[in-house]
Parts: sequence; structure tokens; C-alpha cells
Amino acid sequence: MSRQLISANHAAAEAATMAARANKNARGFASGIYPITPQTECIEYLAKQEIEKGAVVRVESEHSAMGVCIGAALSGARTFTASASNGLSYMVENIATAGFYRLPILMYAVNRTLGPPWNIWVDHGDTFQLRDAGWMHVYCEDNQEVMDSILFAYRVMEDARIMLPMMVCADAFVLSHTMMMTDMPTQEQVDAYLPDLNLPHAVASEPVTVGGLDFPRETEVHRRQHQEAFDRVPEVYAEAQAEFEKVFGRKIPDRVVPYQMDDAEIAIVCIGTFASTVKPVVDKLRKQGIKAGLVRLRMLRPFPEQEMVEILSGVERIGVMDRDISLGMGGVLWSETRGCAPHAIMQNYMIGLGGGDVRAGHIETIFTELLEQKESGKPRIVEVG
Amino acid sequence: MEIRIHGRGGQGGVTGAKILALIYARLGKDVQTFGDYSGERSGAPVRAYTRVSDEPITNRNKVYHPDHLLVFDDSLLGPAVLSGVPKGGHILLNTTMSLSDLPPEYADFNVGLINATEIARKHGIGTKSLVIVNTTIAGAYCKLVGLEFSELDAAYNDIGFASNLDSAREAFETVEICETSTPHQHAPEDDLSAAQLPMVMELVAHVTSPATGLKTGTWSSQRPAYVEKLAPCSAFCPAGNDAIGFVQAMAANGGGAAEGAEILGRSTPLSAVCGRVCPAPCMQGCNRAEKEGTVNIRGLERWIAEQNPVAVRKVERVAEPKRLAIIGGGPAGLSAAYELAKAGHDAHIFDTEAKLGGVLRTGIPEYRLPRVALDREVDDVLALGVTAHCNEPIDAGRMSELASDFDGVIIAAGLQKLRSLGLPGEDSDAVEQGIRFLHRITMGGGATVSGHVVILGGGNTAMDCARSAYRAGAEKVTVAYRRTHAEMPAIREEIHEAEAEGVEMLMLRAPKGYVVADGKLTGIELEIQELGEPDESGRRSPKGTGQTETLDCDCVLLALGQSIDASIFPDGWEMSDDHHVKTANGAVVFGAGDISTWEGTVTHAIGSGRRAAGLALNALGVDYETFVRPERLTAVPATAIRMDHFSKRDMNADQMAHPSPLAGDYSEVNSGMADATEADRCFSCGKCTSCDNCLVYCPEGIIARQTEYGYAVDNDYCKGCGICVEECPRDSMEMYQL
Amino acid sequence: MTANEPVMAGLPHSEQDRSDPVLRAGNTNCGGCGMSNGHLFMSRAAGNDYQIQMVIPACCGIVTPGQFPYSNYGVPVVASTFGGAAAVACGLSEVANQNDDGYRVVVWAGDGGTYDIGFATMSASAERNDDIMYVCYDNEIYGNTGGQRSSATPKGASTTTTPKGKDVGKKDIMGILGAHGIPYATTISLAHPEDAIRKFKKALGMKGFRFVHILAPCPTGWKSEPGEGIEIVRLGVKAGLFPIFEIEDGFKYTINVEPEMCDESLGDYLSKQGRFRKSGVTVADLRESIDRYWRRLRLLSRDE
Repeated sequence: MSRQLISANHAAAEAATMAARANKNARGFASGIYPITPQTECIEYLAKQEIEKGAVVRVESEHSAMGVCIGAALSGARTFTASASNGLSYMVENIATAGFYRLPILMYAVNRTLGPPWNIWVDHGDTFQLRDAGWMHVYCEDNQEVMDSILFAYRVMEDARIMLPMMVCADAFVLSHTMMMTDMPTQEQVDAYLPDLNLPHAVASEPVTVGGLDFPRETEVHRRQHQEAFDRVPEVYAEAQAEFEKVFGRKIPDRVVPYQMDDAEIAIVCIGTFASTVKPVVDKLRKQGIKAGLVRLRMLRPFPEQEMVEILSGVERIGVMDRDISLGMGGVLWSETRGCAPHAIMQNYMIGLGGGDVRAGHIETIFTELLEQKESGKPRIVEVG
Repeated sequence: MEIRIHGRGGQGGVTGAKILALIYARLGKDVQTFGDYSGERSGAPVRAYTRVSDEPITNRNKVYHPDHLLVFDDSLLGPAVLSGVPKGGHILLNTTMSLSDLPPEYADFNVGLINATEIARKHGIGTKSLVIVNTTIAGAYCKLVGLEFSELDAAYNDIGFASNLDSAREAFETVEICETSTPHQHAPEDDLSAAQLPMVMELVAHVTSPATGLKTGTWSSQRPAYVEKLAPCSAFCPAGNDAIGFVQAMAANGGGAAEGAEILGRSTPLSAVCGRVCPAPCMQGCNRAEKEGTVNIRGLERWIAEQNPVAVRKVERVAEPKRLAIIGGGPAGLSAAYELAKAGHDAHIFDTEAKLGGVLRTGIPEYRLPRVALDREVDDVLALGVTAHCNEPIDAGRMSELASDFDGVIIAAGLQKLRSLGLPGEDSDAVEQGIRFLHRITMGGGATVSGHVVILGGGNTAMDCARSAYRAGAEKVTVAYRRTHAEMPAIREEIHEAEAEGVEMLMLRAPKGYVVADGKLTGIELEIQELGEPDESGRRSPKGTGQTETLDCDCVLLALGQSIDASIFPDGWEMSDDHHVKTANGAVVFGAGDISTWEGTVTHAIGSGRRAAGLALNALGVDYETFVRPERLTAVPATAIRMDHFSKRDMNADQMAHPSPLAGDYSEVNSGMADATEADRCFSCGKCTSCDNCLVYCPEGIIARQTEYGYAVDNDYCKGCGICVEECPRDSMEMYQL
Repeated sequence: MTANEPVMAGLPHSEQDRSDPVLRAGNTNCGGCGMSNGHLFMSRAAGNDYQIQMVIPACCGIVTPGQFPYSNYGVPVVASTFGGAAAVACGLSEVANQNDDGYRVVVWAGDGGTYDIGFATMSASAERNDDIMYVCYDNEIYGNTGGQRSSATPKGASTTTTPKGKDVGKKDIMGILGAHGIPYATTISLAHPEDAIRKFKKALGMKGFRFVHILAPCPTGWKSEPGEGIEIVRLGVKAGLFPIFEIEDGFKYTINVEPEMCDESLGDYLSKQGRFRKSGVTVADLRESIDRYWRRLRLLSRDE
């Protein structure tokens, strides 16, 4: 194992490459790639790799990038693609197809503001629009987590009990282009960690129609079965975490990552790199005697409701930081989370929309206001410039 | 009130439901109507619903307990269709059934039966394969449920369906109704628990898909069938030869003649003869003429005869054979004898000449019909047990004797009375009946003529005389005929051959007198003719112009036609219709050949001989299928053949070699075809050749080869599109309505 | 069968034939559907020599296999999104090839999925020279949605969205594919089975992107007698309206069926289809553009 100074984009591509090579004794690997800022570096990196039994197809659109992955996955290969923002919007139809076909396709999604007008900076609205496409979602906090989550994702997705696609999400620029020292796994470790992919419903020579007609009866059962696969994720996730630690000597974060939550009375709920910004503020408040805490939701789907309920059970005041807005409603994270703590005063802060640089001071202000708050208020947009 | 309609895609079920809703809406009710949409295709089962209420309608579910059930296609009937109709409800079926066919389970319902498909088809609503029945069924519905027709009338006028009113009215007036005494009841609640729902496989476990096995054959109202239609060649053959049969037998076997010989042997003993001298009406009928030229059917018949001369070698005599005397050993006599012998009866042929063959022997020269070919076929007939009584001229007295000695008599004596001009000078040595001239040539060991020979007439005798005259030593031969080429009764090819051999054709010339000088014929006076109106034969008749010319010549041969020599008929006998001969004492006597047909061809003679023999047997109480000439008009027309299926290929014509010089050379001119590939040109009109077109073009892939005629169609899946029938190149398929 | 029969001698239902055809009986295509004919021709061409994997985007072709878990296709089929067929096929073929499976991946798409929504995807796949055979069964409308115009709808044809008849002609899809320089592009006439099967065999046996264009009668959308579909195609070919030719490597043009260019066939082609009735489009309206197309085709197919 070595440590290298690399961006999350390259970390993702490196992880994908090693996962690709790890499947050479099975059906190999294929990827459809298409550039979009801020993930372009990732696919450029991938395009430079020599992968035995691997195809990197330079397609003409995100829609086709996912199309190639769908075809390759149905032929039993390991697959990978990357996108962001409007690229994801263009890809949506095939993203849903991958989900409903129960294909373990991995997408590295760099969260970027949806245009127009054009904005390349971080915002989670792009992947949140894909919340219901039948995919697992995880959101990373740092470069190492991006790299590890990609390897981890294959292990979870390709488990016979799961067979679901997963998007591993990383904040634009804050992660994607930011280089940090990262532990690089060896190919041997990856080979050991990732079993050969064996897609149960791969097409070969046997006559089978994948995706013909479902009448209401078939659809209601298929949706139930799809949900049951999501229900099995916590169990498989935990097993994959344990195995990961065994092979790589590092931990994969839990689906919900609490910080100073054992006795917290006031807490921030957020996703992604916000957590890194919030932690020092929590530490500072703790020193001031305020029982502050932080909850990072790492996995949006399947939603870890039970963990959230437990962690938030004793918390009186909760601030939910959304870097997204469901217009006409409020933050998506807030609306997802508020049922987990009905007892608490819960305030939604939509902050850093369009990639505004949210700093510790902004977080301190949120805590300060929240401490004063008598009841849950309407979702608020906090402008940071 | 709730209404449910079951139909098939394209029948108009959804619109039908809308029509009913509109009728009720006009009556001030609140209505709702909708179709049950899925991946409908033409012919696939479809449901549609209509709700009617005095109160505002809030229910938006499908209809599970229809008070009125309409079934647009009775092939849909089954538990799923009939389910949920409460007792005392109304059921209207579009069906060919009548009330007496109705199964007992309908007893608790008010039932209406209507054949709306037939009515709508009659009124031209929809396409051939898919009849739109909704507007018609609505008529029957109104009657069944007690609505006035005027309501429908008004509704149709509102929505632009007025053109369908006649069809609807017919249904209104003709629907059969059976009312039930069972009162209207409410249906029990349905079991809605999930437990009774079918299991569904997990997507991830889905690795193979069995066929749905959906019986799409039920979607259709029509089916294809393989049929055998009459080919024009066979229809046109006066002898009743299965022309298409023997040609196709050769085509199928790559030119092998054995099966062809067997097929020909069923109708004719004279294939070698007909293969040479038949005018071949079959070829006149041949549809290939519409493409690039007829099939050389005559040549093929000759080919078969030469490859397989004997088709029928043995016959079985019946237990109590009839004995028939046949007067005349020409083609009609031989054919009658052959027919009788094959049927197991005894035939005795009486002939004037030393050998049988009649005009084939005495009239047709060697260069057209070698004796060896004729002798072989005559011998083959005799070999079946036919008795020949040669050198036995028959007069009226002898005829009477034969009529009493035998069970029956068939007179096939031909036309022995020869027509002449009756002009002065006809008694000259230089004027001779053509028939006699030919007799001298064929039987007398060779006649000679010299100088310029003029033949009067335009038939086959004229042509034979003309060509023979050259061989007999003439320096120049002219045929003078009253009409033109087009009206000449001679076989076309014979005219061409005569011309090829240097015979001059002088048309529109009628003889007016012989020119005799010093007791010697020096010429013939001819009146120039012009063509007038068509006569009863359909040919334009000649009219004298009054203008004459004299043609110098050394010899005149008369080929003006022949007629019956009535002297052989005993008193009280006379020819009647269709081969019958009336006799004074009721003896079984039939005529055959030229005396019955007046056609003067070998093929007519053969058919006529067959028929006379059959009629005689029938008259003698024998159960025998007597030959009937096929009806030409029922033959497959050229328009029914898909011409572009066939690539152009010229006829494989007979090979001709005219001797030079002609004088003294009687060798056969026509040596037939070099091979039998000509059979491949046959379209096989109306007769399946297993060409695979139907199989190839069937969009369902459900047509398979079989050993029997035609192909096997899997009707479980046939959607009745009709492509197979449209694509059949030869009209041997038909669609039939179910 | 005799030497007189010009077509198909021995091809269908021979021992080389697939026991499970590409399209099985019991499918829900309408009676007389040209797509079905196309499937069966491909089936016979493939015989037992080729294992086919088929990708079908949204179109009648993906309704016809029927309800899950059944299928009326005798080969593996993947339903793709409407515009995504070529990309999905690319994924399948890449993996098949890297595993030496020998599968021949076929896209089976309608004109909507080819000329319109799937156009960019197909073009990119052709440009990459993906190892797929792309079959467009062109019925000149969105048949599956009830008959709307596509960019393959010919001038003068009424559709539910061009009720008075379309006022522009169809895209020259063969010209476009030819311009991609792909190994093989060909048109196929359902009325010329021998030529069709030869081409299917040829295309199945080749590597790289192959394009097969079939004029597929749709009795429902064309308002024609179901039984006359093949004859209508034949008339279209005769009239020069649907040229039968192939393009190798983007430059070698070969005309396979010489049309008669006859107006009578063109007239019959139009009159047998109700869709041309409303616009009143005539032989004269179409003749010039047909002739112009053929002038170009003649130039391109000239021996150098």
C-alpha cells in the first residue's frame, strides 16, 4: 500500500480500474464514458488505463454512457461510469432502466449545480433528482472515502442478495479536484476483496426477454421484490464493511456517521463535505459547554431510518443543512429527515446553493440561531455568497 | 347500470361503448365510457366499459358485474368473458349461433343473438380481414334492451355514423332474443385478498422465457386453404388430358417421363400421335402466353410418349364384360376401345382398311406422323385385348347385325363424304380429292404429281396435300383459300411449315371453274373475294367481288371439307345430341369422333371416343364415370397468376429439319424437343407445386411442408392476414371466412 | 418444387433452420406485419450458425414478445430505452467479444428509434464501428403509439400528427449511414427473400457496424390490406421508390434489384395504401425525386 496525493476524481478512476481488473476471470469490464465538468478528469484517467478484458467506450452522450453499462452489465460484466449535473439529467432514463433492471452498475457522480444558468460548483440537487430511480446512494466526505466507497460499492451491489446499482457521490471541486493524500490499495487487495461478478439474470444464449411487458400485477410484485433487495442492504453493508477492514485495514464509514452524538442536545444533519466543516464548530461549542453534535447521512438510499431515529432520539434541536432545494417545498434532506425526530425543533437551512463556500462562521451562526429557536420554522435559505 | 364489451382490436369495441353511452346521454343520463388499454393489436382481445346512472357517476373502476354484456366475437366466449354477469342480466352475442344452439348456462340471462359480422360485411363496414361491427351490434343492443331505434338514429346522425344506419337497422330487426324469467339479481362481492393473486417470478431469477403460446389464431375471421383449381391447359384439352398434371410431373422429376406417361395414359392411348399432330388447344389456353410464350405442352407429350411409350399394359376384365362394336379404327374408335378396355370390357373395332388408325394412317403423311409411332400406339391398344376386324367395310345392313350381335355399337366412322365443286372439268384426271391423293401417298406406296399443283381449301387436309405435293414431285404448290390466313382452320404450325417449304398461299380466292384445253386441265379460274360479316363460326365470311383471274396449273387437289356418309346408317337411325344415335329398336348406339364433333382434330376425337364409350356403358347399366369435357370458363385466368414471380424464358420449341430437296423425302420434319426442361416453364396454374412461397412469406412462420397436397398451416396461430394467398404465384390458395 | 421456382430453394425449414425461430408464433404483432417477415428472414439467415442477442428499443417489436416472464422471441432480447438501443448493444457486444462468446448482437429498431430519437446514439455507434448489426424495420410511422409521423414518414402520407399528409419527404438514412463509412449498409426488400437472406447472412458474418434497412409494411398504419404488404413492397421496389442496394465501406455501392421505374407500379403502390389518399399525392409528385435519387445512385454505383 502506498499513499499518494491525488484528487477524488483520480481516486475514483483508480478504484474503478482496479475493480475492473479484478473481474478478469469472469466476464470482464466495460464502461461508457462521456465528459462533463467536474468529473471529466475521472473518465480521462480511466481512458488512459490498459485493462485486460476491459472496454472503455467513448460514447456521444451520458444517455449512451449508461446505455453501454446496461448492455455490458446484462452480459455479465462489471461496469462503471461517471457524470454530474445536467449530464445526470440527460442520463435519467437509462439510470432508471439500470435500477429497474437490477443491474449492479457503479456511477461516480460528482454533485454539481443543475443549470441553467450554467454553474459548475457543488450542489446536491442533481443526484437528489435520482432519489427514486432504484439506486443506492452514498455521499462521501473525503478523497479516501471516495476511493474506498467505490471498491466497497462493488462488493455490496454485486452481492447475490442485492443486485442494485449504486452511485457514489462526491462534492464538486471540494472533493473532485482537490488533491489529498490517499491510501492506495494494491491490486491484490482488490482482487481479494471483490469476488467475480456473477449476474444471475445475465443474458447469454438462452431465449429470454429482459424488460418486455409488465402488467399491474407483475409491476407491483417487481417493485416489492426491488424494495426487499433494498431491505437487505444493511446486512450486506455491514458484512462488506467488516470484510473491507480485514482486507485493507481501514474502515468504511457506517450508513449514518454520528459525531459527538452520544449526549448531544443540539445537532446538525448534513451530507458530504459539509461534515468536515461542521466538526470543528461542534468541537468549539463543546468547549463552550454546549452539547453539540453532528450527523452525516452517508447513505441516502436505502434510507437508514432506524439509525437516524436512534441517533436523533435525545436531540432537542436539529438543524438540517441542505445544499439543494426542492422548490416549493424546502431542502430534500430536511424533508427526508424530519420524520425521524418528530419530537425535536427542526430547522432547515438551505445553504451554499450553487457552490457557495460555507465556512465555520456560517455554521456557528446556525447553531446560535438554533439554540434560540422556540419551534420549528419554515425552511430557510442561507446566503453565503 | 354497467355495460361491458368484449371485442377484438379493430372491431370497434371502444367506440361501441361510446355509442351506447351517447344513446343514454341523449336520454338525460349521466354516462361514463372507457376502454381497457394495453398493448392492443389488430385482432387482440379488447374490453370496453360504459356506465349509466341517474345520479352523477363517481365510480372509476373497471366493470366487474355488467348488467349488460356485449360480446363482439363469440370466439372470445369463456369463463373470463361471462364472469360477473348477474342472473337476469342481458347478454348480446355476435355469433352465427341461433337460439336453438344456445347452451343451457344462458338460461338465467336475457340473451340476444346477432350475426353482426355478416351484416356489417355485407354493408361494407371495415376491411376484408377485419369487419367493424360496433355500429351494427348497437342496433341489436337497442332491440334487446328495449330502446327505440329512433334513439340510435338520432345518435348516429349526431356523431356522423349515419352511413351505418342501414346495417344497424338490419341488426335491430333481425336480432334473435330469448328472455329469461329469472329476476335481476345482484352479484356477490368479489374476493379482493392478495392471496388469490398469481405468483410473479423475481426479475433477477428470470433467465429463460417460454413462449406465451398465445393462440393468435382466435384473432382472425378468415383462414387460408390450399385448393386445386382447373388449369387452362387441362380445361382446354378436348381429350380431357390432365395437361398440367403430366407437365408438372415432369417438372417435379426433372424431366422424368414415367409419371407423366401414367397421367397421360389415364385419358389417351395416342400420346405419340397427339404429340405430333394435335392442334394443342392446351397451348392456346396456356397462361404463359401472357408472359413470353406458351409452354410447349404438345412437345412434352411427345417427349413422354417417346420415353415411355406404354402407359397401360394390363387391364383387368370385369366379371361380366359388355361387348361393344366400334365402327372405325381412327382416333375416336381407338380412344373408345381404349376406354372400354381399361374399364374391363370387350371392344371390337371394325375398319375398312387393313390396319387400324383411320385418318391418322390414311390422311396424315409420314413426314408428320411416322408409321412406326402410330403402329406402336395401335398395337398397344390392341394389346389390352381389343379385337380388330380389319378390311371389313360396314354398310347399313351389317350395322344392324352388329347392333344385335353386340351389347352396343359406337360409330366412329368419320366423315367419309367428300365435298367437291361440281363444276365442269372436275372429272379430269388432273382434279383429285385431296383425301384420295393423301391416301395414295400414305397407303399406295407413293403418288406422283408434276408441274404446278393448286390446292383448294384452308384446312389441315389442304396443308397436308400441299406439303405432300412437293414431296410427290410438284414444282410449284399454291393453296387457294376463300378467306385470309386468320380464318384458315388448319393448325397454325402447319400453315407455317407449309410456307416454310415453299407453298404459296393465295388468299381471298374462290374457285369459279376449271380451265380445260384439249381435254387437259390447264388452269383454274378464281374469283377474288373480300371479307364480310362474321358467320356462325365467328369467322368473317367471304363475298365475291365479281373480279376473276385464272391461275395456270397442272393439277387441282380438293380439300373443301367432308361430311357424314349417311348410307351406313340403317333406316330410322339418326345422329342426335351429345353422341347419341337414335335407333328404331332402342339398340345402344353412340357416335364418336368427327360425326359427333365435326371438329376434325385428333384430340376432339379422343375426347369424343371416351365420352361415347362411357355413355354406352352407362346406357348398358354400368356404373361408370363418363368423361365430361371440363368447363373452360372456370379455368384459372392469367390475371390470377403473379407473373413477376417467374423470370422470362423462351419456349423450348420443336426442332425442325425440312429436307432439301423435298421430292421423294417423307422423313419426319419435326424431331421434337432436345430435352424436357420445357416443363419447368409451366406456371402450374391453380395447382400447388410446393414452391414454398406461402411458407417464406408467412409473417408468423407457421406454414410447414407436408407430404399431402399443399402445406400444413398451424391454425392455432394463423392471424388470417392473407399474405400466403396473395403471394401464391399460381392461384392455388384461397381465404375462407370462418 | 421445380427449377421454375426462383426463390428460396431449400432455405426455409431445412435442417439448417433454427428450431426456435427468432420470432415465435403467438406473438402479438398485427396480422400482416412486415416486421414479423423481417424477423423470420433473419431467423432463416442465422440458422444454427449464429447465436443472436437482440436489443430492441421502444417500438412494436418490444410489445410483441408478450407479458413477463414469457417471450415470443426465440433469442435473448434486451429492451432498451427508446433512444438507447445502439449503446446497449455496444455494451453487449464489447463484453461478448472480450469473452469470445461469438454472439452476434443485433439492434432491432423501428424508424422512430432509428431516424429520430435513437439517431445520435446510432450515429455514434456507427462512428465507433461497434460490432453490431443494426436493423431498422421502417414502417414510416410511430406505429406502437398509434401512427404518428416520424422523419421516415414519406411525403404525402397522412398520420395522426400530419392529418393532411406530411409535406416533406423522408430522411435518406442510407446516405447518412453510407457517409459514416461503416463496413456494410444495405436495404432489404421483403418481396425479395433470396436477396434479403443473402444480405442477412452477409451482415451477420461481418464484424463492425452493419446497417440493414427494411421497408416494413404496417397494415394498420398504412391503411392497407394485411395480405398485400409484400406486394406493396414489391411495387415500391419496382417503382424505384425503395431502392435495393448495398454500400460497402461507405463507398462501394451495388444495386441489387434493378427497378422498372414504372409509374404504374408507383400508382399501385400509392393506391393500395389509404394513408396517401387524403393528401392526394400523385405519381407525378414523387417521380422527380425518385429519378433524382436514382441518378445519384447510378453515379455512386458506377465501376471506377
